Amino acid sequence: MADDADGGDGEQLAPEADETNEAPALIMAKIEQRGKDVDALLRKQQVADALKTALADPPTNTRDENCKDANYAVMLKAIMSVKEVDPVLSQLSSKEADILMKYLYKGLASGEKAICDQCLRLHEKLTEKVGVGSIIRALGDSKHTV
Amino acid sequence: MANTLRPYLTCIRNTLNATLCLQNFPCQEVERHNKPEVEFKTSPELLLQPVLICRNEGEKCLIEGSINSLRISIKVKQADELENILAKKFLRFVAQRAESFQVLRRKPVEGYDISFLITNTHTEEMQKHKLVDFIVRFMEDIDKEISELKLSVNTRGRLVATEYLRQFL
Repeated sequence: MADDADGGDGEQLAPEADETNEAPALIMAKIEQRGKDVDALLRKQQVADALKTALADPPTNTRDENCKDANYAVMLKAIMSVKEVDPVLSQLSSKEADILMKYLYKGLASGEKAICDQCLRLHEKLTEKVGVGSIIRALGDSKHTV
Repeated sequence: MANTLRPYLTCIRNTLNATLCLQNFPCQEVERHNKPEVEFKTSPELLLQPVLICRNEGEKCLIEGSINSLRISIKVKQADELENILAKKFLRFVAQRAESFQVLRRKPVEGYDISFLITNTHTEEMQKHKLVDFIVRFMEDIDKEISELKLSVNTRGRLVATEYLRQFL
């Protein structure tokens, strides 16, 4: 599913280690720390920075569902506090945008109205910004799921 | 109403636009067979991650892509029992005439009300953006159609009841 003509930086397609040797507990600790950082940034109303922090280093290489859920919870906090969409999205790199797209699809699958509304809103703007390439990268990547 | 429907449909339209890049692809297991991979799921490397797009608990849409086919399943809004029955009857009526719709699947995927199956033949014979338009338009109209049916059932019921009860006056 290489979609290289569409602004992708191809970093996700590069061969990476399938699974990290990191213990889930270690990843969990990192996620917890990140959750605190995100909270702190949100309290200071720095939504864009909070989103960038949440997007950094997602646990895509592990198979541990608990880690993914924990990171999703952190991500969701950041996503739900985005009010002004455009200025926030314009600060994301294309790699971050790809990860955000994956989380948006995860949010859309949740079925809760408030989450879905927010994700739909972000999804529209994000697609406008980065194009359909990001969508296909999110869907085609079955190894590094979020 | 319309303003919450629009982002939902835009999201589906964008996802369809992205995933509807199909190509001819013969089956890898059986020689000289060519079947929609999304239905048979013979090899995982040919499939895209399925996406579920929800608007709320009741309304959702599942898009499953693969190399040579795409399946989109829709669950329409059903607020009460009457809408439930109307949706079931109406979509059954449509699904029975699947041949004339070409991309419609005869039987919906479990848990959904109606499914479409688009294969590479369809995208070759028809224009892709028109196909996407058709699906989105269908989703737009189905809600309208069902609320209209509901209204007409109610009016008819009221009329019949008045006519019937008039004899006791």
